Amino acid sequence: MREMIDPERVLIRDSTDIVRARAVARQVANQIGFTLADQTRLATAVSELTRNIVQYAGEGVCEIADASGEEEIRLRIIVEDNGPGIDDIDRAMKDGYSTGGGLGVGLPGTRRLMDDFAIESSPGCTRVSIALVRRRV
Amino acid sequence: MTTNSLAPIANLLQQHRVAICDEWLNDIMRIWEHSHAGLVDKEEVSRQANDFLKELAVFFNSHSGEAPAEISTNSPFGKIACELSIERAKKGFKPADTAQYIITLKNVLTRHFLRTYSETPVDLALYLRVMNDMLDRISLLTFEMYVETRERIIAQQSLSLSELSTPIILLWNNVLLLPLVGVIDTVRARQFTERLLEAITRYEANVTIIDVTGVPVFDTSVARHFMKVIDAAQLLGSRIVMTGISPEGAQTLTKLGINFSNIISRATLRSGLAEALLLVGRRIELIGGVRP
Repeated sequence: MREMIDPERVLIRDSTDIVRARAVARQVANQIGFTLADQTRLATAVSELTRNIVQYAGEGVCEIADASGEEEIRLRIIVEDNGPGIDDIDRAMKDGYSTGGGLGVGLPGTRRLMDDFAIESSPGCTRVSIALVRRRV
Repeated sequence: MTTNSLAPIANLLQQHRVAICDEWLNDIMRIWEHSHAGLVDKEEVSRQANDFLKELAVFFNSHSGEAPAEISTNSPFGKIACELSIERAKKGFKPADTAQYIITLKNVLTRHFLRTYSETPVDLALYLRVMNDMLDRISLLTFEMYVETRERIIAQQSLSLSELSTPIILLWNNVLLLPLVGVIDTVRARQFTERLLEAITRYEANVTIIDVTGVPVFDTSVARHFMKVIDAAQLLGSRIVMTGISPEGAQTLTKLGINFSNIISRATLRSGLAEALLLVGRRIELIGGVRP
């Protein structure tokens, strides 16, 4: 059996935590065998989601876990906060919509970058779950 | 008060100093050798411990009554406590490590007090209380100094980082180079935007090369900063040549949906430089007229 890497939790409070979260994500992705291009995609996605926390929620958590199985390598990341939530998820997932003066491509762009993407949000709890997946060869 | 009720503490500290110092060092070195191997100089720690105990004895000798006076950073004793705390902070010790240092001494002293004064429990209680009180204050003092030192170090570092973070280089007449290295946050973005726009005006730059080889992650926030600086630069009449986006970076940017259509982009600084020179009607040639 291969060794599983323990999940890492990074507390997100300010922009230095964004840097830390994506460094951890990059490192874990590297350890479990993702390519440089995948690592870059992942680091960017983590950067987008954690920046949303800093910008809109103030505080949250980014959990990075190795969820690989026999058939595939899978890196799962859950980014969670207890902020005000997203009013209109459908609109937030469309390109060009932003309530905070951004480019409005953060969330939809992240979905395009990742293999799996799920979002749920209500006032007091927003949770985005993303994953990178590669078949083992 | 004519008699010093705390003089016995001072006496004990003087008489047992060597033994106390040895025990203290043993205990503390055992803890630190695990966590900070290589960082602790045993002789240095030993000298400090000796000074510390000497001053502690002086303090109790000159001091009577129950509650010790305030320990200020100006007293000789406070100075030693500060010195060791500051030194630990600079070497990267955690605040808990310095606290550990004092706590260890407390344990050693308690052992000695218990052994020496077991016959006179009333005195023992007083001595223990005063000693505890004293060392707790020192703990607080060292902790305060530690935080202060750390904050100063951090402030210095961020100052020196922002000083060297964004040089703007005049590459050729009317050609500027802005090499970006490291994380681009709002503060840095504002800083290099201002400086670049100033430089464009001063040098009447027709072309500005922005090299992003050293930017680790290109996300929408970084992109937004870039778009702003690009727009502003173009308003001032400078074309932008962006260089150094990695293949992975390019892939990520397009997937994200970020579009840099209004600028010229080249993979390497070398080809970006050639392009920039071409834009101002120059090219690099071999001396003697043979084209490279």
